[in-house]
Amino acid sequence: MIANLLIGLREGLEAALVVGILVAYLVKLRRRDVLGRLWLGVGLAVAVSLGLGALLTFGSYGLSFQAQELIGGSLSIIATALVTWMIFWMLRTARTLGTSLRSDVDSHLDGAGWGLVLVAFLAVGREGIETALFIWAAVQATGETTMPLLGASIGIALAIALGWLIYRGVVRINLGTFFAWTGFFLIIVAAGVLSYGVHDLQEAGVLPGLHSLAFDVSAAIPPDSWYGTLLKGTVNFSPATTWLEAAVWVSYTVPVLLLFLRALRKPNAPVAPRPAASDSALTTQGAS
Amino acid sequence: MIRRPLAIVAAATVTVAILSGCVPNTTPGSNGTTIHVDSTAVDCVLSATSAPSGSIVFSVANKGDAATEFYVLAEDGKRVVGEVENIGPGISRDLVVDVQPGTYYTVCKPGMVGDGVGRAPFTVTDSRTG
Repeated sequence: MIANLLIGLREGLEAALVVGILVAYLVKLRRRDVLGRLWLGVGLAVAVSLGLGALLTFGSYGLSFQAQELIGGSLSIIATALVTWMIFWMLRTARTLGTSLRSDVDSHLDGAGWGLVLVAFLAVGREGIETALFIWAAVQATGETTMPLLGASIGIALAIALGWLIYRGVVRINLGTFFAWTGFFLIIVAAGVLSYGVHDLQEAGVLPGLHSLAFDVSAAIPPDSWYGTLLKGTVNFSPATTWLEAAVWVSYTVPVLLLFLRALRKPNAPVAPRPAASDSALTTQGAS
Repeated sequence: MIRRPLAIVAAATVTVAILSGCVPNTTPGSNGTTIHVDSTAVDCVLSATSAPSGSIVFSVANKGDAATEFYVLAEDGKRVVGEVENIGPGISRDLVVDVQPGTYYTVCKPGMVGDGVGRAPFTVTDSRTG
């Protein structure tokens, strides 16, 4: 049961964290009215994934391996682009919030609100088909044993609970600190998603170098351990990483992080001026 | 200013998803061969080690205690022809591959780490000649 629980946790964690941050973001901007749209995006992704998964599991058509890897790989790369756009858009909106009228923020959000919905949709849908195939396989096994389904369900519930905890944690910290930390976290997540997408395309044979490993720490961090699961589920850390994955990870993270830090340091940066005061606020209450 | 790039990204997303979804699906059951695979902690046992070319369904049952993966590798033993992951204990999942005649390798990877266990050659014969 534990092994199935960990699979469910790993597949659901990243989506739960991203959605948790999106919800916290809208709540902080006092735009709870957009939440409905956000949940619509999440619900749609879940429904489409479960529907497609059921069709592929119980219907007369299967999905070829190449098609599945291509879908997974391309969606990962699109998701990275979207999340990157969102991080910088959030930062810009936060600045507007501090310097100009409320209505400016509102008009900004009307266009980009749908962008956030798309991010939520992709965050959940990216690995949704794979997760749905796993769940339906567990359902199929219930004739013999209900343990796999029970494990998978608890794992996914655990992921959602962690997403909720992240929401509770970050929704309390002040806006400037909020953007700095969620932005930083999302950049690391996006980098992981990108290198995961590259791995998918390497497995599909679209990109070369599947067997040229940059490092292999599988012995120290087994992928089926709980900590291996958490690392994989949050930042997509792969214990056996190829050179191409590592190169893509670094060439995404370094420039994006530098641009992000530069944007953060701009004089009229997010809302509350963020000198030492906001940093100490983080250490006292932001750790959760 | 924000709407246009967004619309483009959205359209691109949908297009890519639909295009990749349209890769010809194979039809297990109708003209394909189904092969049962038992994956344990130490072995990877197939119900048959050869099949006619075309669509082959590997129905992989995890009889071990750790999550497992199943791979079909090309003749060089490296290139991945097909892979199914996230097969938890007690779960059975299908891998559908469309293969040309030739020699392949099958291998299970309990614990999702290392080179796997039970690596064995798998022959695909030409379905048109026999």
